[in-house]
Amino acid sequence: MLVLTRKNGEAITVGDQIRIRVLDVKGTQVRLGIEAPDDMRIYREEIYLQVQEENRQAAEWNLADLEKAVHQLSGHGKE
Amino acid sequence: MQVNTARFGLLDIEEDKVISMPQGLLGFPEKRFILLTPPNLGPFCWLQAVENPNLAFVVTDAKNYSPDCGYRLTEEECLALELGEDSAVIFLLIVTMAADPKDITVNLRGPIVLNPERLIARQVVIEGDKYPIRQPFFAPPGGTATPKKRAKEKAAA
Repeated sequence: MLVLTRKNGEAITVGDQIRIRVLDVKGTQVRLGIEAPDDMRIYREEIYLQVQEENRQAAEWNLADLEKAVHQLSGHGKE
Repeated sequence: MQVNTARFGLLDIEEDKVISMPQGLLGFPEKRFILLTPPNLGPFCWLQAVENPNLAFVVTDAKNYSPDCGYRLTEEECLALELGEDSAVIFLLIVTMAADPKDITVNLRGPIVLNPERLIARQVVIEGDKYPIRQPFFAPPGGTATPKKRAKEKAAA
């Protein structure tokens, strides 16, 4: 991993389209400003990890539960 | 081609029905899947890993659930999925099953985008409050009591 030290107001560039600047440092929190192409997906790492975790949970399913859900749907369908 | 599945036994699948997911699903290394749409499952389909009998996901076409999810893809994603301007695209939502149907949720945050012609798919992460990771399946936005039940055959690629 590349490790760089930056002061408040300083930035790093990634390729020629992305610039990440340290806007503020308060205690343990760092505020970053990110300039990147509009259509690039940028998100907090937790969001990515949440989806990963949800995938893991979604992979644990059994047929009985699925059948129950289908049954529930067909019951409502007759209303 | 025969695909062994833990839940549905041995299936005979045509090789040209295999969906390739070069990046896999987040957290899983598997790259080849088949989408099966048994008619008796209502709006649910299942996405089965070709090389791993145990790995399968219940999915539903986003259209069955909420006709206008408003997902936008980036240029890079369109390229990777070989989507042209007029290409059809299917958004599959992964369903997290539960013993009590009330607890079943769909993941609006991490839809699987499928190019149904080229059979290339990719899971994308969409940020924003509009796209919760656990949206109750039986209480979709808009207040309808049940998800719409059309187009259940359509998800078949």
